[in-house]
Amino acid sequence: MSAPTRDRVDDTPPSGTIRAPRRLALEPRQEVSRGVLVAVPVLAVLLALIVSALFLRLTGHDPVTVYRVMVRASFASRFGIADTLVSATPLILTGLAALVSFRVRLWNIGAEGQLYLGAVAAAGMALLLGDRLATPVNVVLMIVAGALGGMAWIAIPALARAWLRTNEIITTLLLNSVALLFINWLIFGSRSIWRDPDSGQFPQGQRIPAAAEFPRFGTTRVHLGLLVAVLAAVVVWLVLTRTRFGFRMRVLGDSEDAARYAGVPVRGMVLAVLLLSGALAGIAGAAEVGGLSRRLDPSSLAIGLGYAGIIVAALARLNPGGVVLVAVLLGGVRNAGTALQSLPDRVPMEVAVMLEGAILLFALGSEVLVRYRIQWPWSRPADDPAQGAGAAEGTDAAEGAADPAPGVDAADAAESAGGAAG
Amino acid sequence: MTPAPDPPATAGVDLHPGGRPVMEARGISKHFPGVVANDHVDLALYAGEVHALLGENGAGKSTLASILAGLYQADAGELRLAGEPVVLRSPREALARGVGMVHQHFRLVRRFTVAENVALGDRSQPLVMSTPDVQRAVVALGERYGLPVRPEAVVGDLTVGEQQRVEIVKTLYRGVDVLLLDEPTSVLTPQETEALFGTVRAMAAEGKAVVFISHKLAEVVAIADRVTVMRDGRVVGSQPVASTSVRELARLMVGRAIDLDVVRPPQRPGEVVLTLDHVTVDHDTRRGSLTDVSLEVAAGEIVGIAGVSGNGQRPLAEVAAGLLAPDHGRVVVGGRDVTGRGPRAARAAGLAYIPEDRLGTGLAPSLTIAENLQLTRPHGPVLDRRRWTADATRLMQEFDIRAPGPATTTSSLSGGNIQKVLLARELDAGPSTIVAAAPTRGLDVGAIDTVRRLLAERRLQGCGILLISEDLDEVVTLADRILVLFEGRLVHTCDAEGADITELGLAMAGAGR
Repeated sequence: MSAPTRDRVDDTPPSGTIRAPRRLALEPRQEVSRGVLVAVPVLAVLLALIVSALFLRLTGHDPVTVYRVMVRASFASRFGIADTLVSATPLILTGLAALVSFRVRLWNIGAEGQLYLGAVAAAGMALLLGDRLATPVNVVLMIVAGALGGMAWIAIPALARAWLRTNEIITTLLLNSVALLFINWLIFGSRSIWRDPDSGQFPQGQRIPAAAEFPRFGTTRVHLGLLVAVLAAVVVWLVLTRTRFGFRMRVLGDSEDAARYAGVPVRGMVLAVLLLSGALAGIAGAAEVGGLSRRLDPSSLAIGLGYAGIIVAALARLNPGGVVLVAVLLGGVRNAGTALQSLPDRVPMEVAVMLEGAILLFALGSEVLVRYRIQWPWSRPADDPAQGAGAAEGTDAAEGAADPAPGVDAADAAESAGGAAG
Repeated sequence: MTPAPDPPATAGVDLHPGGRPVMEARGISKHFPGVVANDHVDLALYAGEVHALLGENGAGKSTLASILAGLYQADAGELRLAGEPVVLRSPREALARGVGMVHQHFRLVRRFTVAENVALGDRSQPLVMSTPDVQRAVVALGERYGLPVRPEAVVGDLTVGEQQRVEIVKTLYRGVDVLLLDEPTSVLTPQETEALFGTVRAMAAEGKAVVFISHKLAEVVAIADRVTVMRDGRVVGSQPVASTSVRELARLMVGRAIDLDVVRPPQRPGEVVLTLDHVTVDHDTRRGSLTDVSLEVAAGEIVGIAGVSGNGQRPLAEVAAGLLAPDHGRVVVGGRDVTGRGPRAARAAGLAYIPEDRLGTGLAPSLTIAENLQLTRPHGPVLDRRRWTADATRLMQEFDIRAPGPATTTSSLSGGNIQKVLLARELDAGPSTIVAAAPTRGLDVGAIDTVRRLLAERRLQGCGILLISEDLDEVVTLADRILVLFEGRLVHTCDAEGADITELGLAMAGAGR
């Protein structure tokens, strides 16, 4: 602890020149650097791996073997990578769906249901069109149908949010269950066109016509949906950074008062952003039907792709490029689940689910590191003249205003009252 | 209006009979990335004194106070309480040792009652808080220190002044010996400021050390016994108020001599550019109401709206700016009826609006300077960012906005620079009418001067300006005509030339006519 040397000649007793002993403490960050924004999610994933390793050890498995198998299954071979990309495809799209709404501080938790309805609409479109049209036309129409299906499903929460200020978290979340019941009913409980009439004892979806199948790349299962998803990420990025719509999204997400003041049509924006979010989730459903299951198959759709999209968006810190990367990572984890079962000591495939959950928990928990910096007992003052921004006092006000977390008022109050916090 | 400086009650008396300070900071240093907020600061606080901490925004006053109150940890130096070295790791620990702070931005739970807020965080409370006990204590403290608050009122319903009283009661309830008030008057009306001064004196008389953080010279001279002046994170002077003068303090604080008079040559007003015609806004808890307000602003004149805050200033500004549709009446900007047609219509008709809430309404906090400078401009579907950067570079130079560059996040700027960004955008649009609400509130001396000069300049160039301000001095200095707003009505009109301050004050308090 080498305090800056001082050449002051006064009668300060020795205790005055020694810095006061300190403990581990948190201090609000004045400015968040880019490095922190990248390092924190990486740290979250590492911690998730470590904690999951403890669990594996406790249940009698060797974490090193498990992780090695997972990496080999998902990232080491050509087909492993292909399968990882297949798993990542819907995650990119649901991640983007979460991203666009979260950017505006609208919380669409219903990508799951919007994805189902997108799948229903896309499969319906394919079955209606039959073999009449060429594949490219079919594919485009299915994607459009998927988007419309997702938009239709979010329309009610979106309208209620824009005009009645209904909490969209609750409405979108609850509609997920309704959507699941609906697709199950289409296949198991009705004689709809989605159901294969010949499937008798074990009902399943009607296979879509060959002309509606999304083309695949080579001999892999990677399908056109991946291209669509990556393209969607590029488009979302361009919209956010280059267009008036994206600028208005950022203003609205930052401060609704500022948006009103600037004359941004707030209701219209809320509606448009939520519909866009629903459309992206719906396209994910269309891609799953057209590229993978090739029928409306509830069991292969209802694997939490919409919820995983929230994890993807959060880990990517609402960055479209980050969404693609994180989706591939998470796709690999999901994909590896099946490979684990083939291990001699039968590691359950739920390890993948556990890992996913651990990653989300650590990602959310590490958010505190973005907002605060740890003051280690032995740390020296941060003195970085390179970042010459901001006076000391100006930022205090900014913190309150720019704070993304709702309910912070109360937390601040508690903190300064010295109560609950600490 | 700042109260007339009266001689400190303790002038000529030995201030420190015991000689030992209740609290002491020695060699405190605090660094933030790129900024040295405190640089070897020494401060000694004695029981029974009001100690002013004077300095411009960014001088390090709030940082020092935050360190004293345990919110920040100093990088170097030490704190002493009654001579004993202490480490205050948290606001809770500071409170437990008798050091409390009232922040500029209150830390109250809006949905809780006053009593609940006061008891919040008090660990001596039983598991189920004894509401009557707390309420009695709140009332008793209120009477003792002149802080009238109703303990059962919900904080969200209170005025800013009342909320501040709750904050003070909260710290007194916890039994503080040292109370830090961070810019307490920046949110208060003249009357509330007077009342606060009474409270501060009562607290000092009971032997508490009160630290009064301010950048307003007249206030410091009126209330403090001793003053410590800070500049650029250092202490540049510390002395009894009785032995100094406003002029000397100003020079210490700014580092140069400063002249606050704005030139207001008389000029004949032109045609009417803004008309409010029998405007009524029904009561709205968030904004307040307006009743039958009619006024005209002509080109080349400044019409000042004086009044205690919360008397309809906000609906008045928002109606004029097109943000709020009046329930009755018409709004005409530059000859065009824009009633209820939204802010973009008002702007298209030549109106610029400087809202009271700069960062949050006038500017989006986490956007860059360049982006905020374009916030209210019409945009094509695809943005031309290169032009934005060029515009920003030009405006930053023209308006002397001090920041690393156009891509700097707006919220990281100091208050004065934030206001300059807002003014740059609004004035650069070439408006014929300007509505400015509390344009200098909370700014430091230099920035106040800049803002006032900019407005005076625009008046000379033929802008009609509606200046809404609680600072009566400002209204009298800048305006040609003064209207007084009380409970949503215009109750008094006079020319600024030879205006009678007493009469205005009475009208502001609702006693006019």
